[in-house]
Amino acid sequence: MSRLHGIKGFRGTGKITFGGAVTTVILVLWSVVQIFPLYWMLTFSLKENSEIFGSNVIGLPHNWIWSNYTTALQSGNMFRYLLNSAIVTGATIAITVVAATAATYALTRMVWRGRKTVNSLFMLGITIPINAVILPVFLILSKLHITNYWALIIPYSAFALSMAILISASFMQGIPKELEEAACLDGCNIYGIFWRIILPLMRPALATLSIFIFLQAWNELMYAVIFISDSKYRTITVGIQNLSGSFTTDWGPIGAALVVATFPVLLIYAFFSSKIQESLVAGAIKG
Amino acid sequence: MLMIICNVFIGWKWRLTSKLSRGEDLMDRTMKNKTAILLFLLPACILFIGIIVVPIIMSAYYSLLDWDGITASTFVGFKNYAEIFTKKSIGFPGAVKNAFLLAGLSVFIQLPISLGLALTLAKGVKGEKLYTAIFFIPVIISTTVIGQLWLKIYNPNYGIVNMALRAVGLDSWAATWLGDEKTALFAVFIPILWQYVGYHMLLMYTGIKSQPEELREAAMIDGANDWQIARYLTIPLLKPVLQVCAIFAITGSLKAFDLIYVLTNGGPAHASEVPATIMIKQLFGRNNYGVGSAIAVFIVFICFFFAILIKKAFRTEVDK
Amino acid sequence: MKTGIKLKRLLSALLVAAMLVSVSACAGTTATTDTTIKADTAATTTKATTDAATAETTASTQPITLTMWSIATESDSFNPAYTKAIADYEVAHPNVKIVHETFENESYKTKIKSAVAANELPDIFYTWGGGFSRSFVESGKVFAIDDFYTDEYKAQLSTAALGNATYDGKLYGVTYTTPISLLYYNKAMFDKLGLAAPTTFDELKAVCQKFLDNGITPFGISVKDTWVTAMCHDALTLKSVGPTALKDVLTKAGGSYNSADFLNADTKFMELVDMGAFIEGATGLSNDEASAMFYDGTVPMYITGSWMGGSIMTDAANPTDFDVAPIPVLNSATAKITDFMGGAADTLMVAESSPNKEAAAQAVFELSKSISMYAYLSGSGIPAWKVDYDDSTVNAITAKEAELAGNATSFTLWFDTLMEADDAGEYLANLQELYVGNMTPQEFDEAMAAQLEG
Repeated sequence: MSRLHGIKGFRGTGKITFGGAVTTVILVLWSVVQIFPLYWMLTFSLKENSEIFGSNVIGLPHNWIWSNYTTALQSGNMFRYLLNSAIVTGATIAITVVAATAATYALTRMVWRGRKTVNSLFMLGITIPINAVILPVFLILSKLHITNYWALIIPYSAFALSMAILISASFMQGIPKELEEAACLDGCNIYGIFWRIILPLMRPALATLSIFIFLQAWNELMYAVIFISDSKYRTITVGIQNLSGSFTTDWGPIGAALVVATFPVLLIYAFFSSKIQESLVAGAIKG
Repeated sequence: MLMIICNVFIGWKWRLTSKLSRGEDLMDRTMKNKTAILLFLLPACILFIGIIVVPIIMSAYYSLLDWDGITASTFVGFKNYAEIFTKKSIGFPGAVKNAFLLAGLSVFIQLPISLGLALTLAKGVKGEKLYTAIFFIPVIISTTVIGQLWLKIYNPNYGIVNMALRAVGLDSWAATWLGDEKTALFAVFIPILWQYVGYHMLLMYTGIKSQPEELREAAMIDGANDWQIARYLTIPLLKPVLQVCAIFAITGSLKAFDLIYVLTNGGPAHASEVPATIMIKQLFGRNNYGVGSAIAVFIVFICFFFAILIKKAFRTEVDK
Repeated sequence: MKTGIKLKRLLSALLVAAMLVSVSACAGTTATTDTTIKADTAATTTKATTDAATAETTASTQPITLTMWSIATESDSFNPAYTKAIADYEVAHPNVKIVHETFENESYKTKIKSAVAANELPDIFYTWGGGFSRSFVESGKVFAIDDFYTDEYKAQLSTAALGNATYDGKLYGVTYTTPISLLYYNKAMFDKLGLAAPTTFDELKAVCQKFLDNGITPFGISVKDTWVTAMCHDALTLKSVGPTALKDVLTKAGGSYNSADFLNADTKFMELVDMGAFIEGATGLSNDEASAMFYDGTVPMYITGSWMGGSIMTDAANPTDFDVAPIPVLNSATAKITDFMGGAADTLMVAESSPNKEAAAQAVFELSKSISMYAYLSGSGIPAWKVDYDDSTVNAITAKEAELAGNATSFTLWFDTLMEADDAGEYLANLQELYVGNMTPQEFDEAMAAQLEG
């Protein structure tokens, strides 16, 4: 607090208004730039190749090819693939969140020897380019006869762990130790402290975490192609990729499939980000 | 094999935590509860050892082989590591340089933009929630779309960039952005940096919003303006989150692959090559499993090195 | 808060709409697919029964399921041929059920290699002949099918066609199509300038010059998808070096890349590049984008594989404007106009680990024959098996392609499939360097010689 002494007082309201206007302009411009890919995806999903590749790249379609959507959804089993992706991603989020928050708590708040080393070791997870270890992981999973959804859920969770632990740790550090001590004196055991104090205070972090894990798992491609051969278990990313022909590609239906695949993501994001807002508004850390 | 490793690891931790001296208070004892520690760490450890540690060890072993992934292998020691740095046609040293360049740009350009946006939005502007939602959109959209979009933006004939340049009379500036060795690298960096601004912004935004409001109110009563609040209060408190963002930015840049693959696949003639594109080409294109694994191990090492470095750099602030 | 709710409501509504559309689409599809299969099966029942009569009677009557992997995804032009071939086989062999899983081309290459490495192969799998599958065979994971290559099949599919599926004297796979590299050109644009398809390099150069004088870039090409550049470069090299010498060098059986005929081809290739015969910005264009410029009449020529014939019918605004010709000859002492790059690369193999490998081996021959026929009839590809059926419905371009292939004096597999993976990778990387001018033709030849002989 000593740093804040001697600081000059507020400027007059004039400066704030000007600053406010500039800020708004920047924010709006940036919004346009950010939303452009979504707009572009929506428009090219309704065009045919000739428009996408030359005559009308940015504008609204001249010919609205709604049949792109039927082509995309009829090829293979798009709806089934969406469901599979949802199952795999949902399970990944559940497992990772549980494993990561528990591990983070043990690593950052509990006391034991070697905890700093293990903490550093967990960082290994974000250093690996995951495509590099595809073969070893595949060999391990195939020796353990793990197939169907678990062949993806397990690697996805493992790869998300490091990121999850890092993020959880940075938020957990903001929780004052006094709260735990108070709960401890109240008679809570360690599990109670974790469940009743720490987790509820981590809600914004958990929501953020869920979004990140979701994105990582939902959009993953290489593992989904190599580990799953039975189209019963195929995920949406593979399904969309299969819309590319060997030598020529009809991009309209791919766009349509991408729009359909992106909707759940937008929904999940809308859901979780409103949860983040709620818990932030409610006051994350009570005094 | 997996079971043995697990048991050894568990046994080691057990021994370390079993001693509990008499004069400790309730809090200490709770925090040293060995069963709880074990339980909390177990799921993460099993996953981690099985899918991360063991495969890294396997890859490290493969990096010492001359192997195509399928038939028999020959042990060649560190020959692969020597080869990637000496054989010009692979283009590895240049790729490493590019990766570091991207990491630098990411930390010094991308993160400040994310921070600026996060600070502005967290302060409370009209439409704050809408903006946060919109700014995150590029992160959500699959890399395939972003890649294809930028291919069209950079297209020499009908792409927006060249069309805009021609429209204002700067015809001579119009170039084959992705096809020219001189411009390919930076042309590829721009989408990468742009796509993830929202990602870092969300982390920072949530971090800022988690900070106690009372501190900020107190500062404002004392007469601090927005800039001073940010500089002396918000950012210092945000250090844990900034540390995480820095780690993600740097390791992400060193590992970068997806967008580069779609846009140029490292071309033309290695101009936009990064370690990951070379690694994939060697592993799966040319069946050089040994060389590919050597590159992978290299990437793991430098990422780990920087991650630890960043942790140490931020540690003095964080440990209180 | 209001915007948040509105946004959420809108998104939810759209998702529900998307779900309804997809559900109704799915429901609609099953009905249509069933009728299509029934109609086709009825038409080919006569043929099927004849085949069944002459088919091997040693087929067991135990119900078995064969899993097959291929790259004939629903958007691939070979998919209908595969589907019909499978349906025919299941009718002729009621105890056999074939489960067909399809995967996208590029990622399939990684998938199949991983599957071989981890020993997770299906009964039947698609792969590429030549250098690509050599390591599969060497690892012992592929079933040798010489015993199932009966005399009847030999009359319909020559041993020569199976050359790329034969390793160390044993047969490991069957093929169904023999694509070749061709010069596709926009006849309408040629006629307008009074030009004819070139048959020698000098004629080619003259044609290019004429187009350039009229402000038109002659060739569409993609350097980003380097295989397209290789199509052009391979073909010119073949027409300079000749088929036997070329094959020897690439498979390291004799000769050197660093020799006169190779240098001639590379120098001439760079002459075309330097005169501006190829579209500007090819280094940044994908094959899709470059082909689009050919289909819409921006460029009059494109050298690529015979699959373009099928695409012209679907993607070009005026398919009748287009025609196809063999690649011009550079050195008439070594090469002829009837020498072609290409041949049988698409191969179906049987896994050694399959519990039903004999049944699978029987199946691949029959399936192959049927795919060959259906693909040709639909204009997707040149048939590898003998055509003893009515082919009058085939479109003009595909028919011409088949005719050219039928009269070929030799086939040389494309460099990147014929060579071993590492050499192929080096070749494509060096080709990029040559195209952008980082290497001279002499340096390119020396580098290739070093790679192949090193």
